[in-house]
Amino acid sequence: MITPLKALRKNRFKTALIFMSMTVSIAAIFLISAISGGVVSMYSAMLKTDGDIIVTQKGIADTFFSDINRSQMDPIAKMEGVKEVTALILGAAPVDPLPIVGIYGVSENRFKSYALTQGSSPQMGEVMLGSKIYETLKHPKTILISKKKFVVSGVFKSKIGFEDGGVVMGLEDGGALFHKSASILLITLRDLGKSDLLIEKINTLLPEGEAKTTDSFIDSYNQFKIIKTSSDVIGAMAFLMGILGIVSMMSMVVNDRKGEFGIMRSIGLSSRTIIFKLLSETLIIAVLAFTVAWGVSEGVLELIEHADKFQGYINGEITFTLLCNVFVVSVTMALFGTLLPAIYAARIDPMSLIQRGGA
Amino acid sequence: MKIIARALEHYYGQEHILRGIDIEIKAGSFTAIIGESGSGKTTLLSILSTLLNPTIGSVRFDGKTISELGNIDTFRRHNIGFVFQFHYLISYLTLRENVALAALDESLIDPLLAELGINSLAKRYSDEVSGGERQRAAIARALINRPKVVFADEPTGNLDSKNALGAYELFKRFSREGTGFVVASHDKKLAEYADTIIEMEDGLVKSIYQR
Repeated sequence: MITPLKALRKNRFKTALIFMSMTVSIAAIFLISAISGGVVSMYSAMLKTDGDIIVTQKGIADTFFSDINRSQMDPIAKMEGVKEVTALILGAAPVDPLPIVGIYGVSENRFKSYALTQGSSPQMGEVMLGSKIYETLKHPKTILISKKKFVVSGVFKSKIGFEDGGVVMGLEDGGALFHKSASILLITLRDLGKSDLLIEKINTLLPEGEAKTTDSFIDSYNQFKIIKTSSDVIGAMAFLMGILGIVSMMSMVVNDRKGEFGIMRSIGLSSRTIIFKLLSETLIIAVLAFTVAWGVSEGVLELIEHADKFQGYINGEITFTLLCNVFVVSVTMALFGTLLPAIYAARIDPMSLIQRGGA
Repeated sequence: MKIIARALEHYYGQEHILRGIDIEIKAGSFTAIIGESGSGKTTLLSILSTLLNPTIGSVRFDGKTISELGNIDTFRRHNIGFVFQFHYLISYLTLRENVALAALDESLIDPLLAELGINSLAKRYSDEVSGGERQRAAIARALINRPKVVFADEPTGNLDSKNALGAYELFKRFSREGTGFVVASHDKKLAEYADTIIEMEDGLVKSIYQR
């Protein structure tokens, strides 16, 4: 029985090139998927905190541009089945010396969602900082947001990178800063089964608004679709580049080993056996490349997460599902990339052994 | 296996290589095809061994045409062995593994290597043994499935005269045991070992001599 490992060891240089080409492609797929997935999951997690139903301005493409009347919080809170209503202003502004930082104006009842590590929740003219930005700004007592001074009242720790690298203030201050009443209303329900009825009532109460369950909002949110589509396109390009790399390298490998495949044909080994042999060689490389790419991607994500430059906003995560998907993609890449050169190898005419010299 | 070729003609492009060949190879015989370079001996050997289809004419193996033989890979594996001028041993496999690549029954490998005097080299790679030893390993690979006939194209082209004669001796020995050999070579010493000598010239059979 021929051992594919021996063949790979013998053709070390080309094996290494195929391995590197696959590793780079797989790592690219891992990183783009993990980072885009991380952005979506962080923002989703933020919206899901205390929010079974989300209300935004009708027809708005991005929650940052949404403006909704927060005076309707009380009537909504009094509706049957509603546990709590919170309001959020989502914005971004320069925080000296950082060029852009996520700023969140939140209603008072949402302060409890932030796990304070020091100080207290903000009053008027005050803010609390996520631990990441607090470290980046080197423990400030005051900060300048769009040239307006705020006192730092406390520091909180959040697993959501957007929040941990952001600034939280009261709704009044947020409204003054971004000139709006609220970006979104988040509604927690006592009974999820009543969400359809409540959505109907809220939409009647707020004709300029649009209420949806948070899950259905996340599924249909345009920004997430753009992020996901971009990630899929870049991932597909990396996949195709990987296949092209394998095809070109394997073609060279087959050409170098023409004598080997010719002799296999002459001694009666079937085309299927030769194809299987080459496929098994690239599958071994694919598994190794997948493993190394996984490790490299975890390392890169860790570095990005802790890089001050990104303020914790880029927080990719390689989930088990992503791991399984990329494994399937890696194997597919190896199989597709090898198939054509393998078919060519299986068709090498043993006559070439007679017609050409050298082994 | 008796091989009968009738009215064989072959062209490479416009070049008329074989110009009408009628020959019979007896089962278990040692046949030498000799001639100068360009005489058509390699083309004839390629056609007789199923590697090449003739432009015109037919070849029958025990009365069957190639199309009647079924799967050609299976036919070759069970009935035909090949020895080439260049040994074509796979460099990342040991001599034993090279033979095993072709073997239908691996238990026959070690006795055969012993018979060919290379059993002590079984675990070595082709670049660790001499040219003569490599060619013996290639012969072992050709013989491992006890083929009915072995085709050899210039099998001693890369060997010194001592190793070349050693290879002919081996062919003769196995031929006596029932394996047919069809060997194409420009080496006239081959004629001393063969039962039948087919001399080629300009794509035609110039003479057939039988011992």
